[in-house]
Amino acid sequence: MNAQIALGIVALVVVGTILLGLSGVRGVKMDPQEFIVGGRRVGALLLWLLLAGEIYTTFTFLGAAGWAYGKGAPAYYILCYGTIAYVISFFLAPPIHRIARERGYLTGPDFFADRYGSRLLGALVALLGFSMLVPYVTLQLTGLQILLQIAGYGTIDALRAVAIGFFVVALFTFAAGLRGAAFASVAKDLLVLLGVIFAGILLPIHFFGSPAGALDAVLRDHPSWLTIAGPNSPNGITWVVTTTILTGCGFFMWPQSMAAIYSARNEDTLRRNAVFLPFYQVMLLLVFFAGFTALEVMPGLKGPAADQSFMLVVQKYYPAWVLGFLAAAGTLAALIPAAGQLLAAASIVGKNVFADYGIARDPASQTRTTRILVLVVAVLAFGFWAYNRQTLVSLLLIGYNGIAQLVPGVVLGVATRRPPALAVGAGILAGLATLILFVVPKTAEIIEINTRITAHGINTGLVALAINIVVTAVLWAVIPKRASAAVEAAQG
Amino acid sequence: MTGRSTAIICAIVPVLALTLGVVFANHLEPRILGLPFVLAWIVIWVLLTPAFMWVAYRSQRA
Repeated sequence: MNAQIALGIVALVVVGTILLGLSGVRGVKMDPQEFIVGGRRVGALLLWLLLAGEIYTTFTFLGAAGWAYGKGAPAYYILCYGTIAYVISFFLAPPIHRIARERGYLTGPDFFADRYGSRLLGALVALLGFSMLVPYVTLQLTGLQILLQIAGYGTIDALRAVAIGFFVVALFTFAAGLRGAAFASVAKDLLVLLGVIFAGILLPIHFFGSPAGALDAVLRDHPSWLTIAGPNSPNGITWVVTTTILTGCGFFMWPQSMAAIYSARNEDTLRRNAVFLPFYQVMLLLVFFAGFTALEVMPGLKGPAADQSFMLVVQKYYPAWVLGFLAAAGTLAALIPAAGQLLAAASIVGKNVFADYGIARDPASQTRTTRILVLVVAVLAFGFWAYNRQTLVSLLLIGYNGIAQLVPGVVLGVATRRPPALAVGAGILAGLATLILFVVPKTAEIIEINTRITAHGINTGLVALAINIVVTAVLWAVIPKRASAAVEAAQG
Repeated sequence: MTGRSTAIICAIVPVLALTLGVVFANHLEPRILGLPFVLAWIVIWVLLTPAFMWVAYRSQRA
């Protein structure tokens, strides 16, 4: 009975949101331009929701609480990096938007292909973005699996839950497109906000009298849980600071974030967004409270299981309809960003590989390619989920290590004097090679270096980014100026 | 001071506070409204960032 009530509420809310998304796209012709960048006519409020919709995902709702539960203070980095990203975007987003409008970009990799005058660089960046979105979509799928299992009170197994999640995501993506996802974000943000207030304020009041009471209880049982460990621990202060820097710089490098920047109405819209978006971050504090409360009420969840933290508390101590609304909020927080990410991954490879290399020529076959690629990403994400269960935060950090390698190319790309495409491309490849060497170490020396870096808690993505920057700088200095000068002369 | 350099200074302050600043703020005491000091430091700076960026925004338009 409980399962029917909770799952019924989830189903109702999801169907309602899909209808809302569809009402937002009714009467809008679905060519690639409209499907991917919303026709470049998205105003301040809708853009704010779109950016917030991309940003506040299952990662916020379950992942941040899971880390507060499973690791404690290292989770604080999540509050810092988004804020730093908005500060960076204040300076970086307006010129990106201006260039994109003048040159008619649709996708993130278009920026690379055009600014550096290299179709090959565009394709490389597209494939990188595509690969790094796979763990991000896996994160959303894992979130759906957790929510459906908990709302099912044990009647749905993990595989069935993730399969249902997969189908709902694909359906929503095909039906709504980007504009639809932005409209549906309105409903999502409202529900997620209510859910977070419930989990972060009412839960701790219920069990400990106040959020501060929950923190007191955590400190009694784990005295060092709420402060960051010293510089020589795996998730200590060095890790927190280097990870904040890497993820803060990488935040707007995601293809869906670049597309959101393009879709703004004007540069001023982007600046005002950058000023006010940090307020949205404060929600995370409540999510931490929820995680800390769960740690005291229901201790013992290990590894990826920590992501279920406060939802399990609600399942055990609250009526099914409360759980249902909370699971519905979480489902939307997974579904809408997943749609945006699937569209982004599919559109960059569809445009910058298939269309730019003449494999899909006319708009009809491009739209068809995009739809097939949406399914390909979803299947890959499903495979990644089956192959390797990780915490939600770890999944996002994998994606960030890779996507942050685009930072030098984007930052230098807005300047008038730019390095040659070869320097940027070689830098990206050097960064990726570094990451791969750390994951699959082949020689004793690399294992030794890797152990030392992680023992001090230095973020490996930041090490890769440093190597990337050095390679780009050296090649820029040695390669003759002619090729890049021609591109600069043509574009300014 | 030009608008551009005002904007850059306004941006650097919160970025430093939320990176290097966290290293020095990493204490439990004094707790503020029950929050450990380091968490309170981060929350306060997240809330202050829009104020700094608003100044940056105004200075760029002026």
